[in-house]
Amino acid sequence: MAGKTIVITSGKGGVGKTTSSANIGTALAMQGNRVCLIDADIGLRNLDVVMGLENRIVYDIVDVVENNCRLEQAMIRDKRYDGLYLLPAAQTRDKTSVTPFQMKELVGDLKEEMEMDYVIVDSPAGIEQGFKNAIAGADRAIIVTTPEISAVRDADRIIGLLEAEGLRDPEVIINRIRADMVDRGDMMGIEDMIEILAIDLIGIVPEDEGIVVSTNKGEPIALNDKAKAGEAYRNIARRIMGEDLPMMKLEKDNFITRFKKLVGLS
Amino acid sequence: MASVFSFQAVSDGIVMNFRSGSSFGSIKKAVSLHAAEAADFFTGVNLYLNLSGLELSYNQLEELMEIVKNYNQVNKIYFTARKIEKEEKSNKNSEAVIINRTLRSGQRVKHQANVVIVGDVNPGAEVIAGGDIIVFGRLRGVVHAGAGGSKDSQVAALKLNPTQLRIASLIARSPDDSDNSKLQAERAYIENDQIMVEKI
Repeated sequence: MAGKTIVITSGKGGVGKTTSSANIGTALAMQGNRVCLIDADIGLRNLDVVMGLENRIVYDIVDVVENNCRLEQAMIRDKRYDGLYLLPAAQTRDKTSVTPFQMKELVGDLKEEMEMDYVIVDSPAGIEQGFKNAIAGADRAIIVTTPEISAVRDADRIIGLLEAEGLRDPEVIINRIRADMVDRGDMMGIEDMIEILAIDLIGIVPEDEGIVVSTNKGEPIALNDKAKAGEAYRNIARRIMGEDLPMMKLEKDNFITRFKKLVGLS
Repeated sequence: MASVFSFQAVSDGIVMNFRSGSSFGSIKKAVSLHAAEAADFFTGVNLYLNLSGLELSYNQLEELMEIVKNYNQVNKIYFTARKIEKEEKSNKNSEAVIINRTLRSGQRVKHQANVVIVGDVNPGAEVIAGGDIIVFGRLRGVVHAGAGGSKDSQVAALKLNPTQLRIASLIARSPDDSDNSKLQAERAYIENDQIMVEKI
C-alpha cells in the first residue's frame, strides 16, 4: 500500500495545528502505522517540543534538502513508538530555505524509500511560502479551526486555496469546543461552522486543560487514556484510516457530571 | 497609441479593435509596444483581433501573429471581422456568467454583465457585476451589482445576508440583528435612490 501525505493546516495561528499534528501522528502510530511527522514551520519550530524530542535534534529538514545529511539521519525516532518519526524544522533559517518542489520530493522519498504509511505535515500559519511548501506534496488536507469567526473565516480562505492547488475535499477538525458555551449561545455550534465551510467533519476536540499540561511535558494527550481530548484524537486517527466512527458526544461540565465523576460513574 | 486600437471585454475573452484605416506600420508599432509593456495583460483569456475595416496581406497577418504571441499565456487567438460592439449592446442584458461553486473567503468574481452563482458566497468573498447578481445559495460576502453605474441592477439570493451590498453608487449592509436561520429568497433593488429589499 502506498503511503498517504496529510497536511494539517488552518490559516489562522494558535488554533492547534501543531497539537493536532503531534496527536494524530501519535495516535496513528499507536494503531501500528509507520508515521513520519514533518515540521514545516521553518524558523518557528514547535512540533519537536510538543513531541518531547527537542533535545535529540542533530539535523533538520533544511539539512536534508541541502544534502548536508541523509534523510534517515535527520529523522528522529520517537521515544515511545518505534514506527513514529519526526523530521524537525530548522530554527535558524526561514521559509524560503525549502521550495515546494523539494518538499514534494521529500515526502515522496518518505513514502517510497522509508515506507511510511502516513506522512503528517504540520503547516505554519499564514498563506505564504511556508503554507505553499507544506501543501506541496500532500494527498489529503485536514483543516483545524476553533469556534471563532476569525478562525472559520481563515479556514474558508484556506479551503479555497487548497482547491486552487488541486487538493479537493479537505476535512475539518473543530478544536477547543465547549459544550456549555455552545448551549448558552456564546460559542458557534458545530452545525453553524459546517454550514459555512461545507466540508466533511473528521473530528471534534473538546477544550481540555490537559492539553496545556501535555504540551509542556512533551507528551501528546493521545497517550492519555482518561483525557477526552486524547480520545478525540485517537478517534480522528481511526477515521483517517477509514473507520466510520460516530462523533463524540460533547459532555457538559455541570454539577451532575462533576458529581458523577467524583463518585466514579463516568 | 490609444487611437490605433482599443480593448473591449466580451463574455469569453477580450477583443482588440483596430481603428479602420490604420496603417499596418502603426498597428505593428502600437501592438509590439503594448506587448512589451504589458506582457501579462491577457493571462488566461481568449484574444480576438477585430480586423474589420483593415486590409492586410497574408504576410502582414503572420507578422501580426508573431507580435501578439509576445503576450504571455493567451489561451487562444482568433481573428474576427464582425462588428462586436453592436452585438454587445443589444444582448448585454441577457448575458450572464454562471459560477457553479461556492465562493470562499478571498475569492473574487468580476464580470461586466450579469453573474449567477450556484452555491454560497461566503464572508470575505466578493462579487462585482456590471449587471445583476443572482445567488442560488446564501449570500454572506460583499456584492456590487451595476458596478458600471446601472441603477436598474438588482441582487437576489436564497438567503440575502451580505456583509455589504452595493448597487451602482449606493451602499447598504445587513441589519445587525438579522436572523441567520431560515432560507428566504430576497432581492435588493434601487427605488427613489435607496436600496430596497423585498421577499420573493
